[in-house]
Amino acid sequence: MTAQEAAFNRQTIEALQPIHSPPTTFWSKYMWSLDHKVIAKQYLWAGLLFLLIGGTLAMMIRWQWAFPGRPVPLLGPIFLRSSGGVVGPAVYMQLFTMHGLIMIFFAITPILIGAFGNFCIPLLIGARDMAFPWLNALSFWVFAFSQLLVIGSFLGDLGAAGAGWTTYPPLSTAIGTPGTGQTLMVAAIFTTGVASIMGGINYITTVIRLRAPGMTYMRMPLTVWGQFLTAILNVLFVPVLGSAALLLLMDRVFGTQFFIAGAAAVKGGGDPILFQHLFWIFGHPEVYILILPAWGIVADLLAFFSRKPANWYKGTVHAMSAVTILSAVVYGHHMFQTGMNPLLGEGFTTLTLIISVPAEVLFLNWLRTIYKGSIRLTVPMLFALSMVFVFGLGGLTGLYLGANAPDIYLHDTMFVVGHFHFTMAAASFLASLAGIYYWYPKMFGRNMNQTLGKIHFWFSSVGITLVFGGQLLVGYAGQNRRLWNPFAYEVFKPLQPLNRWTSYFAFVLFTGQLIFVWNFIYSMARGRKAEANPWSVGTLEWSIPSPPPVHNFDAIPVVVRGPHELSNPELEKKLGRDWVGQAEVVAGEEPGAVRTAAQGAT
Amino acid sequence: MHSLTFLALCVLPNPFEPVKLMRDASESGWKIDEMLETTTIFVSILFLMTVVWMMWSVVRHGPKHKAVYEDGADFKSWRWTALAALLIFVVVDGDLLAHSTAFMFGTFFDFKGAEAKPGAVRIEINAHQWAWNARYAGPDGKFNTEDDIVVLNDIVVPVGAPVIFQVTSTDVIHGFNVPEMRMKVDAVPGTVTRMWFQPKETGVFEIICAQHCGANHYKMRGTVTVLPRGEFDRWAAVTSLNATRGFDPKDMEAHWGWDWAEHARVE
Amino acid sequence: MNVAAARGVIPYRPAAARGEDTAWLGMAIFLGSWAMMFASLFFAYGVLRLRQPVWPPQGTPQLPELLPLVNTLVLAANSFALQRALVAARGGEKARVVSGLVQATVLGILFVGLQVVLWTSLFRSGLAFEDGSLAAVVYGLTGFHALHVLVGLLGLALLLPAVLRGTLNAARNNRLRLWVMYWHFVGVVWLAMYLLIFVV
Repeated sequence: MTAQEAAFNRQTIEALQPIHSPPTTFWSKYMWSLDHKVIAKQYLWAGLLFLLIGGTLAMMIRWQWAFPGRPVPLLGPIFLRSSGGVVGPAVYMQLFTMHGLIMIFFAITPILIGAFGNFCIPLLIGARDMAFPWLNALSFWVFAFSQLLVIGSFLGDLGAAGAGWTTYPPLSTAIGTPGTGQTLMVAAIFTTGVASIMGGINYITTVIRLRAPGMTYMRMPLTVWGQFLTAILNVLFVPVLGSAALLLLMDRVFGTQFFIAGAAAVKGGGDPILFQHLFWIFGHPEVYILILPAWGIVADLLAFFSRKPANWYKGTVHAMSAVTILSAVVYGHHMFQTGMNPLLGEGFTTLTLIISVPAEVLFLNWLRTIYKGSIRLTVPMLFALSMVFVFGLGGLTGLYLGANAPDIYLHDTMFVVGHFHFTMAAASFLASLAGIYYWYPKMFGRNMNQTLGKIHFWFSSVGITLVFGGQLLVGYAGQNRRLWNPFAYEVFKPLQPLNRWTSYFAFVLFTGQLIFVWNFIYSMARGRKAEANPWSVGTLEWSIPSPPPVHNFDAIPVVVRGPHELSNPELEKKLGRDWVGQAEVVAGEEPGAVRTAAQGAT
Repeated sequence: MHSLTFLALCVLPNPFEPVKLMRDASESGWKIDEMLETTTIFVSILFLMTVVWMMWSVVRHGPKHKAVYEDGADFKSWRWTALAALLIFVVVDGDLLAHSTAFMFGTFFDFKGAEAKPGAVRIEINAHQWAWNARYAGPDGKFNTEDDIVVLNDIVVPVGAPVIFQVTSTDVIHGFNVPEMRMKVDAVPGTVTRMWFQPKETGVFEIICAQHCGANHYKMRGTVTVLPRGEFDRWAAVTSLNATRGFDPKDMEAHWGWDWAEHARVE
Repeated sequence: MNVAAARGVIPYRPAAARGEDTAWLGMAIFLGSWAMMFASLFFAYGVLRLRQPVWPPQGTPQLPELLPLVNTLVLAANSFALQRALVAARGGEKARVVSGLVQATVLGILFVGLQVVLWTSLFRSGLAFEDGSLAAVVYGLTGFHALHVLVGLLGLALLLPAVLRGTLNAARNNRLRLWVMYWHFVGVVWLAMYLLIFVV
């Protein structure tokens, strides 16, 4: 690009993103803010709160398996008064249902996508805000309303939702699970879906339209790629969940028969398996929605803290895109046991195994990024490395479940639970923590305590490995999931000690998170003030103050190189440091020129 | 590093001792076990390699090591990544795909073979909250007739002959699951699904519901008692006789059976 | 992707036009989402219908033919009216824009009214909400579509006074364009529903 073109670009994009005077009232600053950074923080708080709730529910599940029949300490007397503080079978199914739904939709999604998407996308592409700031604010409040519906579900007269997070009918219809609790949760799912779609529209449009001049697609940080591809999946497949939720709501509220069959069916009835198709056409892309942002963040962090470019950037982008495209055609592996046509089963098996190839590519790229680097074990890097560890394990266990035959034995066992906890709860969660520790200085203008961060890291990664590893092990031995008392079965009795140990590790894991909560809140008030670029990295957000002004960039930057320009020997000699800013013009370089890797830029 | 901790804990005696595949009492179950065990070997090797690679990098390529400025974008570099991914796919995934396909088409869906074997036992399962209704055709070979044997939760089958199930449900989705025979299939209201296995040992094995079906899902237990052929035949004859004596033509709810051939679909 | 775009050069458009393009892209993605939702509903209908041995299922009434056809023509006329309004807006002819919007509003209200007539007649001929998959599909899908028509009418209710009061300018024209996109989408979905539920 010539200097003239760069000047024109900058002029146009400045006109598109005028600098407004900053908000002054409490309402416009903190409640109905149009600033993507504030909205990101709103999502972060909302998500962290529900992460705490979801985690507490998990602890109650583990308590029941470790000490069946004993009243739950602290929470029992408050929430389980009618049963003397003990978790009974009906409460148990509400626990695992609400735990799953809350963690997926109301904890990980707002943190990984709502908070990081909103905070990072405009800053990392050199924009002043999202394409549709008003829609952005609306999406948060719709989401907050959906969280309110979740709370409402707990207060239902017949208890909270109890049909499993998968909400299969006919169990999830008014016949199987009567009461407002289940209905409110289905409504909450629909509503949060609306918020996700609004967010997705914003993210996609922003990445396409508001990239700074010189910020080509292949110069975007991988964090942005992860968010962009996730937004595409959100926009395409959350509506399918919406239709499943809508039809289920109609069955529950208006008595229609989309999903009712068997004895209760009238004049032909409906098809319960139809729900499964709709649910999993969404559900499988959903797991990629939850991991793509994590892949993006980790790929970037591994490069930054190895002080070297991300290995085969293009390969990672193509791999992430391939996974995005393939994600919709593998969903049948969740339905292998429904009596499906053998050819269909074979098709889904084949496609599911094929989708492991791009995942292997990007995993290998991570390994090759750190190798021969200059690895700094900062807190974000520790979490990024442990994400690689747990995702490797979780991903490999997916192989067993993706093929039709071994799935016959493993379906509905704790092996499935271990698999998805390693890939979702562990990998996405650890990547979220990596992101929080990494962007905290930029977000809040202060540093978190790094020692406490490292202690938190050890609690989390060891705890996660032991807890979810325990689930994999008992699952391999055949222990089924969703059982209030697994030891009512002879074949599971020998597994009781292992289950109890897993519960002990879970309690330790949960306790370790309190260190993080303390660190997070305390540092906001008393943390050491953060500099603009504490990690010595070249992406655009580190070229402005911590925290950034409302308008982000005083002048929209003109990007001249990729995001991982680290340890380039020529530039090191010129600048005396191993990193270069994406918009930093170095003497002797032609401004805006696109150089190949061989010539010394990404 | 925590990976060492994990490996160390794997060696600890007590809690981990019962972690092995469940007992397999079926003729074909070994095929599934073989797939599981082979995959475990492959997966363990790959995972160990990953852990070693990561530990090596962290230890040898730490802050004192000078980072090498390589972006892996040239073909000479990325071809190894592509090759490795392809190799893993062909070996690990390929093995799994080949064996899974062979099992599904050669064993699981071989209803034709199972039905053709003399002495095959046919059982209709009607799941409901929270028990397993089971129906045998009885000596007349027809379902929903006087001599049908109907049992609740505890079915009896002979060793060494195929036991074929047609499964449905009256209310919600259940999972008809006999893990020690390495077989399960969902029980879906409005549909009839099928599965079969052939016991190779006598004994008592558990039926464990494998799909969340309400508050008492955890209690939806049954048993499969495998008897020597002679004992089974005697049991069937006696039970069928008692059933005929106790048959009540007016009890419509008890006549839940269906025509076997309609859903047999023997291609 | 052309070479210039690959080098990060933004092609020449005035800033305001770029803003409109951004809004258009957002609306297109939004409608893409809704298209996926309606596609799922049609998928559900397909699965339910194919699983029945006979359609309409035993004991359910035949669906009317005339009323849905009339409604299809009503929505088609609505789309034409709105398209004319859009063209007039680009030409700066305010009076034509207003008349087009008024026609579209009347037709939209007529559509909803006729749908209500359709539903009540089905109800009276014995098709309750609970009557199996046919009732679920007809009431569920057409009801959900009608909600979208109501939202469209809300849009027209917001546009009309704005156009009446002020002059036609680029921003107002852009809003009109976005709502016209929405109405065309609603019309196409109805056409698909009409053909798949009432004709086939």
